[in-house]
Parts: sequence; structure tokens; C-alpha cells
Amino acid sequence: MIKKTLIALLLITSSTSFAQHFRTYDWAEQPELHELSADELKASSIGILNKHIVEYAANIMSPSPKCYETEHTIIRVNDDKGIARHNTVYIPMYEVKKVIDIKARTINANGKVTLLNQDNIKEVKNVEEYGDFKIFAIEGVEKNSEIEVLYTVEKEFDMYGSQTIQNEYKIKEAQFIFITGKLNSNIKAYRTNVNFTDTTIDGHIAKSLTLKDIPAMIDEEYSTPNANKVSVVYQCFPSGQDLTQDMFWNNVSNNVGYKLFPEKASSKVDEDIASLLEGKTDLSTYEKAARVDNFIKSNFNIVKNNNEELSDLDYILKNRSASDFGILKVYANYLKALDIEFEMVVTSNRFTNKFDPDFFVPGMLRDFLIYLPTEHKYIAPDRIEYRVGEAPFNILGNYGLFIKSDLSHYFSKITQEDPNYSVVNRNLEIAFDDAIESATLKGYQEYTGHWSATNRAVLNLTTEQGIKEFKDYLTGSGLEDKVIVSYEDENTEINQTQYNLPFIVRSTITSESLLEDAGDSYLFQVGKVIGTQSELYQETERVNPIEMQYPNEYNYNITITIPEGYTVEGLKALNIDKSFKSRTTNQKLCKFESGYTLKGNKLVITIQEFYKVNEYDINDYEAFRTVINAASDFNKASILLKAIE
Amino acid sequence: MKKALIILLLIPFLSFSQDFSDEDYIYLKRHEHLKIELNNDSFNITKNVSEQAEFLTSKKLYFANEAMHFDSFTSIEDIDAYTYIPSTNKKIKVDYIETKRDFDNGVFYSDQESKNFIFPAVTKGAITNLNYVEVIKDPHFLGLFRFATYVPTKSAQLSIELPKNVTIGYIDFNTKDIAIDFKKEESKNGLTYTWTVNNIEGFQGEEDSEDMLHYIPHIIVYIKSYEQNGKTTNILNDVSDLYKWYTTLVDQIDKNALENVYAIADDITKTLTTKHDKAEAVFNWVQNNITYVAFEDGLGGFVPRGAASVCDKRYGDCKDMANLLYEMLNHVGVEAHRTWIGTRNRAYSYFDVPTPMVDNHMITTAIIEKDTIFLDATDSYVPFGMPSAFTQTKEALMGIDANNYKVIKVPIQDSNKNVSTINSTFTLENGSIKVSESRALVGYEKVEFVSDYTYKKGDKTDEEFLNTTLALGNNKTKYTAFTKTNLDNKNSALVLDYELSIDNYAKTIGDKIYMNLNIDRSLANSNINLEGRKYSKKIDYKFNKHFTSTFQIPEGYKMNYVPKDLKFEHPNYSYAITYTVKDNLIIQNKTITINTLSIKNDEFESWNSFIKSLIKAYKKSIIIEKI
Repeated sequence: MIKKTLIALLLITSSTSFAQHFRTYDWAEQPELHELSADELKASSIGILNKHIVEYAANIMSPSPKCYETEHTIIRVNDDKGIARHNTVYIPMYEVKKVIDIKARTINANGKVTLLNQDNIKEVKNVEEYGDFKIFAIEGVEKNSEIEVLYTVEKEFDMYGSQTIQNEYKIKEAQFIFITGKLNSNIKAYRTNVNFTDTTIDGHIAKSLTLKDIPAMIDEEYSTPNANKVSVVYQCFPSGQDLTQDMFWNNVSNNVGYKLFPEKASSKVDEDIASLLEGKTDLSTYEKAARVDNFIKSNFNIVKNNNEELSDLDYILKNRSASDFGILKVYANYLKALDIEFEMVVTSNRFTNKFDPDFFVPGMLRDFLIYLPTEHKYIAPDRIEYRVGEAPFNILGNYGLFIKSDLSHYFSKITQEDPNYSVVNRNLEIAFDDAIESATLKGYQEYTGHWSATNRAVLNLTTEQGIKEFKDYLTGSGLEDKVIVSYEDENTEINQTQYNLPFIVRSTITSESLLEDAGDSYLFQVGKVIGTQSELYQETERVNPIEMQYPNEYNYNITITIPEGYTVEGLKALNIDKSFKSRTTNQKLCKFESGYTLKGNKLVITIQEFYKVNEYDINDYEAFRTVINAASDFNKASILLKAIE
Repeated sequence: MKKALIILLLIPFLSFSQDFSDEDYIYLKRHEHLKIELNNDSFNITKNVSEQAEFLTSKKLYFANEAMHFDSFTSIEDIDAYTYIPSTNKKIKVDYIETKRDFDNGVFYSDQESKNFIFPAVTKGAITNLNYVEVIKDPHFLGLFRFATYVPTKSAQLSIELPKNVTIGYIDFNTKDIAIDFKKEESKNGLTYTWTVNNIEGFQGEEDSEDMLHYIPHIIVYIKSYEQNGKTTNILNDVSDLYKWYTTLVDQIDKNALENVYAIADDITKTLTTKHDKAEAVFNWVQNNITYVAFEDGLGGFVPRGAASVCDKRYGDCKDMANLLYEMLNHVGVEAHRTWIGTRNRAYSYFDVPTPMVDNHMITTAIIEKDTIFLDATDSYVPFGMPSAFTQTKEALMGIDANNYKVIKVPIQDSNKNVSTINSTFTLENGSIKVSESRALVGYEKVEFVSDYTYKKGDKTDEEFLNTTLALGNNKTKYTAFTKTNLDNKNSALVLDYELSIDNYAKTIGDKIYMNLNIDRSLANSNINLEGRKYSKKIDYKFNKHFTSTFQIPEGYKMNYVPKDLKFEHPNYSYAITYTVKDNLIIQNKTITINTLSIKNDEFESWNSFIKSLIKAYKKSIIIEKI
């Protein structure tokens, strides 16, 4: 009875125009198994249909339109992995006003249909930081079944949205339908050449995008697969409104800027400022900023929860806890108090989103940085491991919205200012014991830039076991029987006031496995002393453009003392020279170069490896791979210590 | 006045002699007080928790995050939390607490929730204080108390206050190296037991070690019985009470529509005559057709779902699968019993600890012609007849009927049941090594490979997966012509065949070619780093590996050098390598045996000398030279 009344009510509210599409949209009454090719049957799972319908409906009862979202998927699962990937469904309830319908069914290889029992849909509230969900496990699924899920939710009106179309498995047909009727709207698709077609659905103006045979997005090394998926972004405005992207961006700069550029620093920060300056009056702008960064990161915690007060400055200063937005206010007040010029940067993680200045979607605006224009340096307020310097590696290369203190804004790609920011310099002196059973490696290493930030963070923040493992890494990875004889590190303190101070390691290790017996001679696996090197194993065509963590450089100087009574042979393998030049500047962009000199009983090997930029075109993949694999080639090099007869 | 009180409270905990000044964060105290009350036949149980911690540095401010977990058996009440800053004598109260649903990737649905907050204003010198009450709604779940935790604790204390007519049991673990101060006090109304430990170091997880509870000093308390009007009622006096309680849960299983289940059982066994074959067919069916989906939902987390519903839905957790097997097997005439068991992570025996803490898993035991067969369908790849590897050595509580049960140990599976046999032929072509290899895996060796191949391969191709998991030769090794046989056939060896081409591997220097036949370096990374190592090393199963590597001396070359035979002998771990030369063939035979599930701390040196000796043996190359 209640249900009937509800339906009647719903019909009344929408009777002023045509009915919404979801009311008539349904799955086939009788499901049938789809024909798949032999290759498709070999995959763990295949998307047969992946349909999203977003419908905005003008609402005479309120100024904002109603918003409905329907998702309809059919997926074939062919093996255990496929089943495990698809047999549980999580429907996010973020901004959902009402669940209109959720249904799911399975058709097995014999054609038997199992319908989801609605009683088994469970509701979970406030799941960590992800909000509420409706969850259920798919019933009746076996190998070679098809799983079909169809649901519609009514959402709070939101002018923007985005939808990822591509997935980790192949999708035979994907469709995105955007129904907006008379409302003004914008829509854009990324990483596809197919265009939207204009159409009408149930009498409403709509756009539709249909994609066939979308390949699986695969996880490749040196790439950002999640951010590279085919996706759609859209905007839809209340009746009679039409907004340009500029208007949106201006709005953001004004709103965000208004909160983050105080006219005058709060007097509540005076005490902190005095304490962080320690009475010093002649500090450089850089050092002042560094002290602010150190102070905040040693006194404040960033919290992810729903406490709204975490963005209120007074509350934050009292509780020393802030949201990732609230902490910006703290920085702003401290920097203002010290008269340091700054800009606020709104951007996003390049591994999840490619920031698009031409289309405003708030979902992209999840990360904040502070830019110091006089220093050309960034502060990463919510990154405990970083101090004033280059932008964090996960932001590097994305665009950012830079908001200035006068609330004007500009867009800029966030790049690395100092091309030699992250360098590893390593000197190794290698000697053998009299029996030539064991090698002793005495090393001096300097790490700068991102390397040093990571090293300091790990040593300061991790557990004892973590530190143990990290010291093992710092003294040379991939040596099975390594014994660390001595280890000392320097400049390990996470709070530094000097720009890019190197992190230093002095260590002595011994290893027997570096020497292989070969009759009366010995093979010394010299390549292994540079540590395990990644090998790009490529049999299938590369999908993603190359994005490294960050530009970097290694300089090695290895001196080997040849034991008395022995000569060395097989040195040719030590000469490697692979590089790759920029097409435009003809400068070497990446390089691996190794060589040697032999003077008396000293064999000196030098290596330089660098990657000047972190992004490379997909067409340059083979050239890039050659350089990466050259390091792995060197890692296999060994020389023969031969007894003088 | 209030401030003075705080300072008074602090004094006893600040005055201990031992300092943990190298630490970033320590507990000054962790005290729990359990209060058990009995009203007629119902218990009121509360646990007052009182914790105080100090930030000795400002490095690890993330320790300010606090979560108090609860589920449908417990609730958290009366939370009082604040930060105290000694230098300014300020007290800042926690004013925001959020309830969150805990989410564990391995569990689909769980009733676990937590109350979360962050201590405000923590920095070097800050002292955090937390007091709350945990209400325990079921007398079977008193829980355990850890004397130590991940950071040092200056004062750890558990006390229990109970009426005289209630009897409790308690047992402590891993406490031989610590001093426990135990007190039993009697008052007019009841008894109070108190255990106190001072200045106990932190315990953190280690690589390849057993679960923490095998090491961390802790105590388990449980209610044995109570007396009322001259009558004694048992709660968990011994394992028979635990079993009795389990039978009350089993009685709640939905037995509707079992005819559908029977029909399937009949269908899959209709052509089979022996009990063994029938049991195997039923086990394989459940293993292949029911997908594991884990639920933790109050008492529902203890009561299996009805067999018919599990069959329809085609998914279930361990107890659902165990109950389905139980129904199907008994229907086709195979004696089968529902069986409770703890996985190897659980450190207890039913006889020491007669509480639900002992087990975390459920299987089915079949009795066929006096053979006891443990059936665990949650392990999708274990062959019929073998228990799941993670239940070896554990006590199984096998329910026979309403009053009878048996506790039996799951036997360790012999190393000769888990075998890899690897045959390789090496040839040399233009300085590059080609290997034709066949790898046959049985028992847990196969189970491990198939699970990794199914769930850990990710987006890798077969060839790349082999490159990273087998890691033969070096990471430039190319795999081609890969075939796999019997991946799905549980009774036969899984056979992996492939061709390898390894560049930069054989070294040609002058007239000689140096070649190492040990392209498989199993166990080479298993050396135990003894620095600060606390816990024993866990091994998942015993195994044997047999290698036969045949090198064909190319034309125009002759053998120059073959290494001496080598071996390491120990009852629990050993290897032997021999070389033979026959015509133009150099044949290496290598056997590695692991015959234990654990390397105890006093065996570390011996184990490391085994690994060292093995690595040394792996280093030996053969040499051929131009004729």
C-alpha cells in the first residue's frame, strides 16, 4: 500500500514533463548468454555492457534540477579470478538522496538464472573515509556465468560529475548517456576519438557516447594507468543558467582565496612565530619558510574525518589538528606573519587524475600546495616527508590552479625547477680477502632531492623492522648473503633548514656471493654492486605513455683493488653507452654510460645514469626502455680474476 | 583542584627507573579492570580501560590517532580523552569522536566498527589520557590482555573483580622472561585478581615470523562457572562446555530445502561406488562451485548458513562450506562431522584455553574406513585428502553428536607429498644460454603456484609472471613456449613446460666459457638477519625439490672443470649436489629438502649456515674450453 502511494506521488511530481528515462529503462526480461570470441573466453572476465545514464530533470518544485544516475553492467566471468573480481558489489551512497532500485542476476553456462535476493543487500555506514555503501554479493555465480547489475539512484543536485569508462578488463560495449532536456550543460570525453551524438530520449535532449571494444587498462611500470583511462566529465546548470569555465575558476579563486589570504595574520600565531624563529632576525626567506614548515609538521596533525571545525583557524590552533584544507590556513597565517609572499595551488595527484584547466570538475581539485614565487619552491602541507623544495612526485607534471594574494589566478604545469634535484652519488672501494672468498665494499653515498626526503621519512617514521629493511636497501639490494660490517648515516633529521642538504650513508659490507669459483680463477659479479635494477619486460604493445617518479641521476665511482697474483679479464662488458636525445633540443634526455680505466692494480669503473625529465612520449618507449635495461645489463656484468701463471 | 589530581596521577608512572629515552612514543600505563557481576543467571561484565601515553619526540605524531574497536558483542561507553601538556600545565579535551565501519579487504561484510578520534595538540612532551568502558555482552568473550604492545609500556595491569560464586580460569603466555606481580585479594563481596608488569619493551612484527601472539606476553581469562542456590552452572569450564555452546549454535542452522542439496550430491556421486570416490567428488564440487566470501556478523558469524541457501547463492564462508560438505557427505553415506579449528596463527590448545579464542575457522572431517580426512574447501586448490596447509599441526574439534566430540591433531604433511621435480636441458647458442625446462609440482607446491598464478599474476603475461616468480637465471631471462598441464586437475602433478633464453649469463673469456647451472636459486634469500631478531621463522609447509640439469657441451669444446659434490646435512633442512660427466653431457643433480614448519631461535645459526652453504654451492660454475 505504502509503495503504491509512493509511486503515485512520484508520478505527480514528474507529470509536468515526460517521464524520466530510468522509469522505462530495464534489462531484458529473459537474459541470454552472449557470444564471445575464443580470446574473450580466455580472459578472466569481459565486460559485455557497461552503460551509464546520467539524467538531469528540471524540477518545478525547486530551483535545482533532480538528478538520477543509472548503471547497467553485464560481465562474463570465466575463471576464479574473474569471479573474485566481480562477485561483490559496492554501490557508493555519496550524495545519494534515494535508492530507486537495485537489482542483480546471474545466468550460468546452462542458462539457469539466479536473481539477487533483495534481503541480502546490506548497508554499511561511514566506511573509513569512503562514506556509506550498499553492498551485496552476487548470487549463483559460477565459472562462465554472466553477471548483470542494474541500479538507479537519485542524487543530490550537483552541477558536475565524472565517470570512468575504461576498466581493468576489456569492455565490448560502453555507453554514456547524458540527458539534460532544456537545461544548459557541457560534456567532454578524455582519451577517445569517438564523438558524442546528439539525440533525444523520451522527448528529452540528450547526448550519447558509444564505445566498442575498449581494451583493458593494464598496469605498466613507469605509468599512471588509473589516470589514463577513458573517462567522461560533465556539467549541468539550473534552469536558465549557463556558466563558462572561466566563471567557475574565478569563483574558486575568490572563494578559496578569500579564506586563505588573511589581511593580517591572527595574533594567536605570535607565540609560535617567536618560538620557531628562536630569536633570529637575519633569516633568509627560504629559511623562514623552512622553519614554518618544520614547525607545523612537528606540531600539527592532519585528520580525515567529518569534523567541520577542522577548517576553523581558532579551533585548529587550539587543537593542533586540521583538515587538509584547514592546514592551509595555518600556513597562510604563519607565512603572512613572516611577510613571505605565497600562492595557493589547487591541483591533483597525477596517478589518479590529469588536471584539465579547460573543464572544471571539483573532483579533480583534491590536492593543495603552497608556492613561494620568490624562491620558486613549493610547500606540501599534507605531506609529512616533504619540506620546502620541489613539488611532491605524485603532483609533478600535472597542471595547477595558482591563486595569488590579490585573488587573481593563472594555470601552470607543475614542473621541477632544479633539473638536478634528485641525485645519488656513490663511491665504492672494493677489495677481496686473501682467499678470494669474500669481497669487502666500503661505500660513501649522498642522496639529494626526493631520494633524501624518502630516506629521512622512512628512518624517522617507520618501525624498527622497517628501519632494518631500509638499512638493508641503503647498503645495496640484491646481495643474498650480505653482512653489514658498519653503517653510519648523516643528516637524517627530517626537519632541515638548509636547502637540499644531502642524506649521507657510510657503510662497509662484505659478501661472498659476489665471487663465483671458476676452477683456479674467480668470477666477480661487479654488476651486482649497483643493486637490483629493474628490467622492462615487454611482450605486448605499450599502452601508457612513460611517466617516471621524478627526474633523477646516479653517479657511481667504483674502485676495485685487484689482488696480488691476479689479473682481470672480461672488462669489455663494462663499457655500455645508451642514451636518448630530445628531438627538439638534441640534448640527451636519458642516459646510461659506463666505462673503466685500469691503472696498476686499481680498476676504476665510472657510471653515469640520468633521466632529465619524468615524462616521455609513448613513441619513445623503445628508446627509453633501452636506457633502463642498460642498467639492468650492467647489473649482469662480471669480470674474471685470473691467477697469473 | 582538578589539575592537582592530574599531577598526582602522573607521579607514579613517571618515577620508574627504566627509561625508554630512545623511543619516540611510549605508554606510561595501560590498565584494564574487568568487573564481573552476576544477577540471577545473567552476567553484567564491564571493562574499564585506562591508558596514558607520552610523546618523547615530535616525530611520530600519528600515534595521536586512536581507535576503539567494537562489534555486536561489545559496546564502547563513557569515553574521556584529553591531552596534557606538562610544560604549560594545559589540558585539552577530545571533543570529536566519530564512529566508523572497519573495512578489511579480506572480509566482505563485518560488524566491526570503531570509535575514532585524534588526541589534540600533541607534540614533544605531550601526555595523552584515555579512559573508557567496554561493555561485554556475552560471557564467552572476555578477551585477552597484552602485557606488551607495539611500543614500550611502563605499567601494564589487568585486574578482575568478581563475586565469590563465580569461578574464572586464566592462563598466561610468553611470560617466562618478564616479572609479573600477581595479587589475589578478598573482600566482603568478592575477589580481585591483579596482574602487573612494569617496564616492558615494545613488540613489533618481523619478516617471515609466526603471528605476534606466539611471542607477545599476554594473558587470557575466561569464566569457568558460577554457583547459584547450590547449583553449579558451567560457562567454559573445559572444552566440553565450549563444545556444548557450539552445539547450541549449530542447532540454529537453517535446515530448509535440503532436498535440493541432496539432489546435487546424488547427481555428482551417482556413478561412483566407493566412499572415498564419493567424498572426493563432493569435496571437488564444493571447492569448484562455491566461492569464498567472508562474513563476520555477530553470532551469525558463528552459525553456518543453511546448506540449501549456500548452494543457491554459490558463495559462502568457511563455516557455510563446512556445513554444506557435512550435509552432502552424510547424505551420500560418508560419515562426516562439522569441525572447529584454529589456523596456525592461533597459538592455543583447546585444553589450555577452552574458549572461542582458540579457533577462527571451520572445516569438515570425513571418516572413511578408519581414515580421518580433513576437508577445507576454502582452499580452492588443495587436493582431496590433504588438509589446508595453514591448519597443519592444529587441534581440530570434531563434533560427533549433541554430547560427543573429539579433539584430534591435523598431521603435518610429509615433505615427499609437496614436491617440485625440475628437469632442465642447457645448450649454448652463440654465447647465449638456451634451457628447455619441465617443472612438475605436487601437493602444496602446486597449491601455492596455482593460487599465485590465479590471484597474484595481475596484468602480467604468463611469461612475465614466470620471470618474476621463478626468477630463473636473471631478470633478463626470456620465457617462451609456455604450456601448463593439469592446472585444474587436482589429482595430477601440475606440469609447467617452457623454453628459456638467458643473455649475459654464460661468460666467454679467452678460450673458456664459464657457466653456472644453478639458474633456480631457491632459498638463497632465506638467511635470517640476526640483528635484533626476536621471533622464530615460520615455514608454511615441508617440501622437496629435485633438480636434474643437463648441459650439452657444444661441438668444438671439452669439459675443463666441474665443481666437487657438495651437501649440507641436517634432519630439518638439507641439500645435496652432485655432478656427473658422460660423453658430451655434464649432469647436475640437486635435491633440497625442508623438513620442518618452524625454525626456532636456537636454530638460527644452524639454519644460516645451511643457507650460507647453499649459496656457496650455487656459486660454483662449470667451465668448458675450446678443443
